[in-house]
Formats: sequence, C-alpha cells, structure tokens
Amino acid sequence: MAITFEEVSYAYDDGSLWRSGALERVELEIRPGTFTGIAGTTGSGKSTLLQHFNGLLKPTAGRVRVLDAVVNAREKAPKMRELRRRVGLVFQFPEQQLFEDTVEKDICFGPLNFGMSLAEAKERAKWALSLLGLDESVLQRNPFHLSGGQMRKVAIASVLAMDPDIIALDEPTATLDPQSRAELAALLSTLHREQGKTVIVVTHRMEELLPYADGWVIMKNGRTLFQGTTDALVREAAFLEQEGLAIPECITLWNKLAAEYGLEAEKPCLTPESLADRLAEVLAAEGGAGEREGRRA
Amino acid sequence: MRGKLLIGRSIDTGSWVHGVDPRAKLTAMLLYLIAIVAVGSWPALGVAAVFSLAYMTATKIPLNYYVRAAKPLWVLMVFIFAVQCFTVTEGTVLWQIGSWTLYSGGVSLGLISASRMALLVSFTAILTFTTTPGLLNQGMAGVLKPLEAIGISAQRLTLMMSIALRFIPTILDESQKIVKAQAARGADLRELPWKEKGRMLVSLLVPVTVGAFRRAEELVLSMESRGFQIGAPRSEYHLLVWKRRDTWFVLSFAILAAGVLAYRFLM
Amino acid sequence: MAAAEFAYELKRASFAYAPDTPVLDEVTLRIASGSWVSLVGPNGCGKSTLAKLLGGLLAANSGTVMVEGRELTRESVPEIRPRIGMVFQNPDNQFIGSTVEEDIAFGLEGRCLSRKEMRARVKRYAEKLEISHLLAKHPAELSGGQKQRVAIASILAMKPGIVIFDEASSMLDERARGELLQIWQDMRRNGDYTLISITHDAEEIMASDRAIVLRGGAIAADKTPAELFADEELLQACRLIAPYRVRLLQELRNRGMDGAGIIHGWH
Repeated sequence: MAITFEEVSYAYDDGSLWRSGALERVELEIRPGTFTGIAGTTGSGKSTLLQHFNGLLKPTAGRVRVLDAVVNAREKAPKMRELRRRVGLVFQFPEQQLFEDTVEKDICFGPLNFGMSLAEAKERAKWALSLLGLDESVLQRNPFHLSGGQMRKVAIASVLAMDPDIIALDEPTATLDPQSRAELAALLSTLHREQGKTVIVVTHRMEELLPYADGWVIMKNGRTLFQGTTDALVREAAFLEQEGLAIPECITLWNKLAAEYGLEAEKPCLTPESLADRLAEVLAAEGGAGEREGRRA
Repeated sequence: MRGKLLIGRSIDTGSWVHGVDPRAKLTAMLLYLIAIVAVGSWPALGVAAVFSLAYMTATKIPLNYYVRAAKPLWVLMVFIFAVQCFTVTEGTVLWQIGSWTLYSGGVSLGLISASRMALLVSFTAILTFTTTPGLLNQGMAGVLKPLEAIGISAQRLTLMMSIALRFIPTILDESQKIVKAQAARGADLRELPWKEKGRMLVSLLVPVTVGAFRRAEELVLSMESRGFQIGAPRSEYHLLVWKRRDTWFVLSFAILAAGVLAYRFLM
Repeated sequence: MAAAEFAYELKRASFAYAPDTPVLDEVTLRIASGSWVSLVGPNGCGKSTLAKLLGGLLAANSGTVMVEGRELTRESVPEIRPRIGMVFQNPDNQFIGSTVEEDIAFGLEGRCLSRKEMRARVKRYAEKLEISHLLAKHPAELSGGQKQRVAIASILAMKPGIVIFDEASSMLDERARGELLQIWQDMRRNGDYTLISITHDAEEIMASDRAIVLRGGAIAADKTPAELFADEELLQACRLIAPYRVRLLQELRNRGMDGAGIIHGWH
C-alpha cells in the first residue's frame, strides 16, 4: 500500500472551545501506482486528509502509514524530511507560494532543500517543466509575469522536481478555464501512466477526472462515504446523490442508458465519444430505431 | 482553515459584561491601562489582581482563555523580570556571582513588573472576548469622535482598525498555508537549523505580502462597488444606548485607577 | 421606476491601462434591460476590464458608456453607481463586515438609511437568499458558497437594477455552483434585474440569454449560447468546452444518429 489510514481522526484546536473535528475515524487504502480522485462538499475534510499524507498534520487519533513511514497519534512524529520528498503535496492555488525572481530558481527550491546539488536540481527543473508541457524558455522568466495557468503549472513543476513517488494535489484545476483544466487533468494522467507515480487529486469537478481515475474516495463530514473503483462509483451514484454529492451528467446519462438497455454490468462509457460509440453498437444490434421505439411504446 | 486564533474572536457566553456599551468598555480599558502602569507595590498589585479576577469571572469565560491570551508574551515578561533583577540595587543581597549582585528589591520589582504585564495583556482580552468586532468599531468611532475637533478623521481610524480586525485572521490563515506549502517543498521551519531559518523567511514573506496586496486590491474594489466613499456621511447599523450600568462600569475602573494612583503618589 | 429599454449602450468604448496598449478596443454593444448576458473569452481578453467599465469602477478613455439611458461620466457616476451591483470571484475578499448581518448592512450605511429600514432590508434579503440562520456568523465560520450568498444579499439589499458577476462561481464547489445558477434563474424570472456574468462555466453560459465573446479587447462574436456551443472553432479560441449533453449530441450526429431523438426520452 502507498497510503493506509487506520481509524484516523483529526480535530483542529483539540481541547479548546473552538475544537472542530475535521476527520472522524477515516479508513483509507491507496495502492501504489494508481490514480485516485477525492471529492466531497466544502468542509468535508478533503484538504485535511491530504495534509496527513506527508506528515504536515499528525492525527489526533489512529495511525497513518505512508510508504514506509508510520505516524501514530500518541507517539512523537518521526523526522518528516524523507517522507516530504517522497510525497509531493500541491496546495490549492499553488501559484501563490512562488517567491523567486526566476522560474528556474523557484523550481529548484524544493530539490535544493532536499540536498540535491545545484546542477542536479537544474536538471530536475527542466525535466519537471517538460512533464507539464512547458517550454524550457520559461526557465529564465519571472514567474509573476506568466499567465495564471502557466504559473499554476510552474508551481506544480516545483513539487514534481523533487521526484516524489506520490503526488497529491488539492483542486489543481480550480479557477482555470475549461480547456486548461482538461489539459492539466490529461497531464496528471500522463504522470501516472508514463512515470508510474501514485497520483491523488482532490476535485470539485468529478467529470474532469472520470476518464482517468482508477479509484475514488468520497468524503462527507470528515468521514469516507465511499471508496472504490470508478465503476463502483457509477453504480453507487444514486446513493451518493442522496448524500448530497453533485453527480456529473456523464454518470447520470450512462446510468439511464444502462438501465434502458441492460448494460449495468458493463464498464461505463463516460466520455461523449465512447458513449456515442457504444450507443451506435447497441442500436445497430437492436436492428434500428423503429424497433426500439416500438419496444419503448 | 480554522486556526488557533484568539485575535478578534468574541466568545458569546451571554454575561452582563457582554452587554456593556462598547464605548464604556474602551474607556474602561484606558483607565485600566493607567491603573496598571501606576501599580508599583505588592498591595496595589493585589488590589488590581482581585479587581481583574472579579471581572474575568463575571464574563463567564473560562479563565484559562485569559491565560492563553497572555501566553505569546511570556518571553517579554521573562525579559522584564530579568532587567529588573540586573538593574535594581535595593533591599538585601540575595546572591553574588563575581561583580554582579542580586538584590531582594530587584526580584520583588521584577515580579511586580512581570505580573503587571501579564494582567494587562490577559485583562484587555476581555474587550475582544466580549465584544463583536462590529460593535467594537462603532464604540471606537464614538470614543474617537472628540479627535475630529483637532482634525483627525475618526472614520479613517476606525475603518483601518475594522479592516485590520477583519483581515488579520485571514492573512494569518493564509500565512499558515504558505508555511505548510513551503514545508512540503522541504523548508520546514521546525526541522531546520537556526541559520537556515533566516534564509527561509523570504520564501514566506514574499508570498504573504503579495497575497495581502491582492486581497487589499479586491477589497477596495468591493467596497467601492458598494458605494463606499471615504469621508462621506454614513448611518450606523448598531444602535448604542448608554445605560446606567455603563456609567457604573466605567466608574469602577475610574475608582481603581484613582486608588492606585493615590497609593502610589500620596502614601 | 420606469425602466430604460437598454441597461447598457456602449459606443466605441476604449480603455487602456498604459498608452498604446488598449485592453478594450472600440467596444460597441447593447444590453437589453432584464436580460441575462454571459461575457466569455480567453484569459486576458479584457472581460474583467469590461466588467469594471460596466460597473463604473473604471472610466472609458474614449467612446461612450450609457447606463439605463444616461451617460456614465465622472459627474454622473455617484448617481448611476447605486443602480449597479458587483459580485467578485473571491468570496473572502468581498466580505467587509465582521458578521453576515454587518456585511449586508455595510452598503446600506453608506446610503445613510434609517436603522429601521436597514434592519428590514437585512431581514428581507437574508430570507431571500436563505441565510437568515447565519446572520450572526463570522466569515471564518462560513463556506465559500455561503459567503457568495452573503455577497449577493449585500448587493441586492441596495436594490440595484443591474448585477455584474465577475467569475463569481469559479471558486465554489459543484453544489454551490448549482445553487448559484438557481439564484440567477430566480433573479432572471421577474425581469427585475439585468444579469451580466463573466464565466467559463458551460452550464451557466447555456442558461443565459446571450453570449458575448471578447477576444483581444474587441467583440469577436455575439450569439445565443446554443450557437456558441455549436461553433467548435470559436470554442477553441475562447478555451471553452461545451456541456456534456451538447458534445454527446454532436458525437451522435457525427455517427449519423438522431441524437435528440435518442436523448429526449431520458428526461
């Protein structure tokens, strides 16, 4: 397992009037080399969950295992340095963490902190930029003069440059335009497929990740409401909607289609292209629209 | 993220102190400040402490919250204590190392000074604990009104204070987030040696400053689009009515201040 | 109030922050009162600047901007501004008061309304936006969606005829976005408001009456949402993606199937 949570609870301001529970006895398993989406309404504990992945937060109860590190609620936390390098965490609006006057310096910040030589860090910076589809010429530019989408990519590259085994991102596509969002989701999927990274993405727009994610975690009020494969998620959609999750149209449309043609056992088609293909097959097999209309009547 | 922020957060327990006019509270705090500065002996300190404790209890807010409010300043208190110990040369000799001598007067004065500091910081927390920031602003506007006679704009001052009270917690939250983001990039202040910490400071200061300016810009736009114009006349949403209780409240502080001053300078 | 036929009439309105680099280049357009218009375009196309121009926060360098039949000039701004409300992207940075109640009252205080009138409006618009139970809350205790509701209540309480939303949904979660869309539909229903929304969101554009496409500071297209989403080239240029349903219909059509006939049965 890349990440295991055993009955993990976390409360902000534990032991004060303002104590507010953010996680309640969370059980979680994320396998290495998978692409996982995390969804849930605001305040459901997604961001708090993420910060347990690299030891930024220590559980107030329970146990977190990440790679070969173990963080126990009651024990003193071990030194987090190595874990921090191996688990890259990209916060919401990561472009707001940039501070150097060139992109290269900013991307090298992480690798240098983890003890790489300058030459090595610069190599890594180039590598990380290319993974995110940015041109090398960006390296010498001032990050504050880039467009919002480019700044976002630079900030993500600055975490990737540490060459983590696991990369977890908190709403990486928020406030970007739709095409940039789709591009970024595809890039993250490439990281997972071609670099073998374990990728974990918190999102408010599930439809963006549905074509890529192997598994999903749905949070509600600090608990995991659902954990399983994308296929299982599609099957549980009605239940999740009842629990207050906004279900994307691609899932509701598929479920209607599946119910109508008895395709429940199949792998769901969640893109317009795959769904149109599947519909074409189904209709052809049924022998044309006339018969279908007749059956429906 | 809800942080551990005590600044600008009121705790509503519904006590009568919560209902006191904010102008009365502000005036009372000024009198309290005078009283505490004038405290110079153990009896005076004792009276001030009993007085403070009585009011703290009346707010129905757990006393450890007041203790926590003073906690961030413990270094300063230790420092004040140490300075007194080093400089005062009255009373009997307690201890002697080389050329330096510790006198009982130094220890006594040091303890009094440190306690004064602790009392002042924890007691003034009553103001923010029992008053919502909006009421506090309006109280401040009332108290500062006389300043307009000498050409200082009370509106400007209170606006500044209200925006500070409103946004300091937000900016602190954001700073906390940036501290974490940089820690995720291997710059954990807690785990780094001291000489490295300085170097890391710029990685925090730049983003926090940029963020604060961005916020300020958006806030100005938002205020402007809601028709705000500095200096333009405004009505007030909260109605402040001065009651007899408010007079008694201020009077009790006036008596404390007068008493302490009299003890200090007349006895 | 006799509503003018057009909320806005712009004639060759230009704006530049620095000479020779116009952000808006001779924009001419008309927006009918009571309509709902989406302003779309790639980042940096001048959408936000146009929104500020329409909101009276910036003044055109040349050309004219007419609001409800009156020309927007430095002199007329104070009278016209109250007709226009603006809601911005970041819910936190437009929360001026320290409680929900105070935030709604902020703009009203600037109008010098009586306390009775302010209380009545706070109550009415809090009810309208279903935030009555939150009136005493501090912004730190609210979700982004709730804060945007507060911002809208604050604006509507000032009784504007035009409300401009500058990417107001982009920081919200899926559910809150759906709720915001519902609020817009309610506002649109009675025709009391002219809605102008800058957005990338396909569902929001689809729900509006008209999409004005800005590119390089000029109007590149002015279409119905359905026309916009059928124009693949234009969508690419605006960096938009059509709603899932529209894309599916297109894919079915590409395969020679009657998409509408197939999908209709599902609703």
